[in-house]
Amino acid sequence: MPVANPHNTFAPLAELTDEQIVLAARAAGEPDWLIERRIAAWRHFATGVPPIWKRTDLTTFKAEGIVAPAAAQNTAIQWDASLAEQGVIFTTLAAALRSHPDLVKQYLGSAIDPLTHMFTALHAALWQDGVFLYVPKNVAVELPLHAIFTLAAESHAIFPHNLVIVERGANVTFIEEYSSPNINGQALAVPATEIFVGDGAAVRFATTQTWGQGVYHIAAQRVRVGRDGSAELIAANLGGKLQHAEIEVTLEGNGAHVDWVAVTFANDSQSLLTAPLVRHIGTNTESHMNFKTVVDETGYSTFDGMVKIERSAQGTNSRLEEHALHLSPKARSDSIPGLQIDANDVKAGHASTSGQIDEEQLFYMLSRGIKRDEAIHMIVTGFFEPVVERIPLEELRTRLSEAIESKI
Amino acid sequence: MNTDLVIKNLHVNVEDKEILKGVNLTVKPSSIHAIMGPNGSGKSTLAYTLMGHPGYTVTSGEVWYSGQNILELAADERSKLGLFLAFQYPVAIPGVTVANFLRTAINSHRAQEGKSPKETAVPVAQFRKELREKMAALEIDDSFVRRYLNEGFSGGEKKRIEILQMSMLKPSMAVMDETDSGLDIDALKIVAHGVNALFTQNPDMGVLVITHYQRLLNYITPHFVSVMLDGRIVRDGGPELSVELEERGYDFIREEVGNASS
Repeated sequence: MPVANPHNTFAPLAELTDEQIVLAARAAGEPDWLIERRIAAWRHFATGVPPIWKRTDLTTFKAEGIVAPAAAQNTAIQWDASLAEQGVIFTTLAAALRSHPDLVKQYLGSAIDPLTHMFTALHAALWQDGVFLYVPKNVAVELPLHAIFTLAAESHAIFPHNLVIVERGANVTFIEEYSSPNINGQALAVPATEIFVGDGAAVRFATTQTWGQGVYHIAAQRVRVGRDGSAELIAANLGGKLQHAEIEVTLEGNGAHVDWVAVTFANDSQSLLTAPLVRHIGTNTESHMNFKTVVDETGYSTFDGMVKIERSAQGTNSRLEEHALHLSPKARSDSIPGLQIDANDVKAGHASTSGQIDEEQLFYMLSRGIKRDEAIHMIVTGFFEPVVERIPLEELRTRLSEAIESKI
Repeated sequence: MNTDLVIKNLHVNVEDKEILKGVNLTVKPSSIHAIMGPNGSGKSTLAYTLMGHPGYTVTSGEVWYSGQNILELAADERSKLGLFLAFQYPVAIPGVTVANFLRTAINSHRAQEGKSPKETAVPVAQFRKELREKMAALEIDDSFVRRYLNEGFSGGEKKRIEILQMSMLKPSMAVMDETDSGLDIDALKIVAHGVNALFTQNPDMGVLVITHYQRLLNYITPHFVSVMLDGRIVRDGGPELSVELEERGYDFIREEVGNASS
C-alpha cells in the first residue's frame, strides 16, 4: 500500500491548470496516452457547465476550494497475498499502470465515458487512488478482496478508480468501502468503478458508503456481464451530505444474470440518490433488483431506476422491487421506476411500496414488552437485514449495522 | 402473589361505533376462564382492549390488574405487569428472527431501572437451551429459530409460535384470542397441550380463552365459562355451559336474554 506524502496535493480546483496535471503525471512516469486523456478530460471539466440534475442539488457545493491529491494516498487494500500464485492481481491502479500497462490501457475508461458529465470528466482528469483487480481464467477466489477509501479533512477530495477484470469462468468477491469521520465544511468523493465479468464468470460486488457529514459523493459504476456470467451487486448508501450514484449493469452476453440489492438511509438533511440502470442485450438474460429505503427527519432519497430491454434481448426476465419506509412526515423519498421494452418475448415485473411503520407490527412488539423506541429500531434494522446479511464480510456487516443503528 | 383481572363496566368504540357496551368480568388467578360468543359479539375487541391496542377507544370503565388500572398503561407496560395476548392474526416482522425477537422481549421484561441491560440480560446459553426445549415440546422445527418472525409461516405455525412466546415469557395472565381458528385437529392438540403444560408449571396463572367454538375446550378444560353477546357478558357458568352452547347454539341464550330484558 503506497502512502505518499499526505501534503502532495494539487492547487485548489479554481487555480488548477492542465500544465500542473501534465507535470504531475510525467513525474509519476505515466504513459502518454493517459496524460492525453487526463488533459482532454480536464478541458472538458474546465470549460463545461455543471450538469442539471433535477433531484441532486449542488447549489450549496463549492468546488473552487476543493483540493485534489496529486498521488494515490487514500487507498487501502486487504487480501490474501498468496492468491498472486494463482495469477490474481490486486494492487493499486497506479501500480498496475507500471506493472500491467497493456491490460490497464485496454480496459480503463472503456465502460465509463469520461465525458458523461462534468464530474466524470473531473474524475478522469484527476484520479490517483483506486485498485486494479484481475482474476485469470477459471480461478475461483474464495475470500473477499476489500478496498477501503477514506477522506481526511475539509476541502479534501478523492477520485478513486477501480478496475476489475474477471476472466472467463473465474469468480471473485470485491468490496469497496467508502468511509470517513464527520467533516466540518465540505469534501468531495468522485469514485468510478468499471467491472468486466467474463463468459461464465461470477462476480459479487459490494459497495458501502458510510462517509461522515459534509462529504459529497458523486459516483459512477459500470458492470458488463458476458455470456452466462453473473453479477451480484450489494450496496449500502448511508453516509455523506449528498450522493449521486449512476450505476449501470449491462447484460451483454446471452444468459447473463444480475441480482442487485441495495439499502439507503437518508436522515438529518442528507440527500441520497441512486440511479440504477439495467440494460438487457443478450437473449435469456435475467435481472432482479430489490432496493430498500428509509428516510427520517428531513432526509431525502431518490430511486431513479430504469430497466431497458433491447430488441435483441428475447427471453428476458426482469423483476424490480423497491420499498420505502418513512419515519418522519418531513422526510421525502422519490421513486421513478422506468421500463423500456423493445423486445417482444419478455417477462418484466415491478412492485413498489412506500409508507410509515406499520402500527400493527408496533403493537405486536409492544405487547411482548418491547419498548416503542426499541421496536422501531428492530423494525428498521429488520427492514434492511435481508440486504445487510448479504454483505460478504462480517466485520463490515457489523460496521454497517452500527452505522444504521446510530441513524435510527 | 397474582391478583384477579377485574373488568368493570367497560365501554369501547372502534371507529366511533360502540362494540363493548359495559363488560363486567373477573378472571381469577389459578384458573382457565373461557369467553364464548358468536362472531361480532365483541370478543376480539375485548382481547385487543385488554392489551392496549391504539385502535380501540375506551369511552368508560376500568380494568384492574396487580393494583393498577391498566387502561392507563401502554402495551409494553401491561406486558411487563404479566399480561399476554396470543393473537388471532399474528403479524410478520420481516428481518427479525424468532430467536432475536424472543430474546429482546425477555430482556425487556428483565430490564430494571438503574441497571445496565447487560447486567439483567438472560445468559445466551440459558436462553438457547430453554428455547430449544420449548420448541421441541411444541413440535416446532429448530430451523424456525433463524427464520424471520411469522414471515411465510402457515396459520398453524403462527399459532404455535404464539404459544412458544407465551411459554417463554411466562405471563401471569394470558389472553388467547381465537387460538383455535385455522388449526387442524393435530395442531389444535399440540397447542392445547402447550397451554396445559404451561398452566401446570405455573399454577398461579390466569388464562382467558376466547373462542367461538367448543372444540378447543375439549382439550383445554375451563374452570369458568362466560358468554358474550352484543358487547356484554350475558351468562356465567362452569364448563357445562360450553357443552350446552355446543349442543343448542347461541340462539337459545339470545332468546333468553331477549326475554329477560323485555
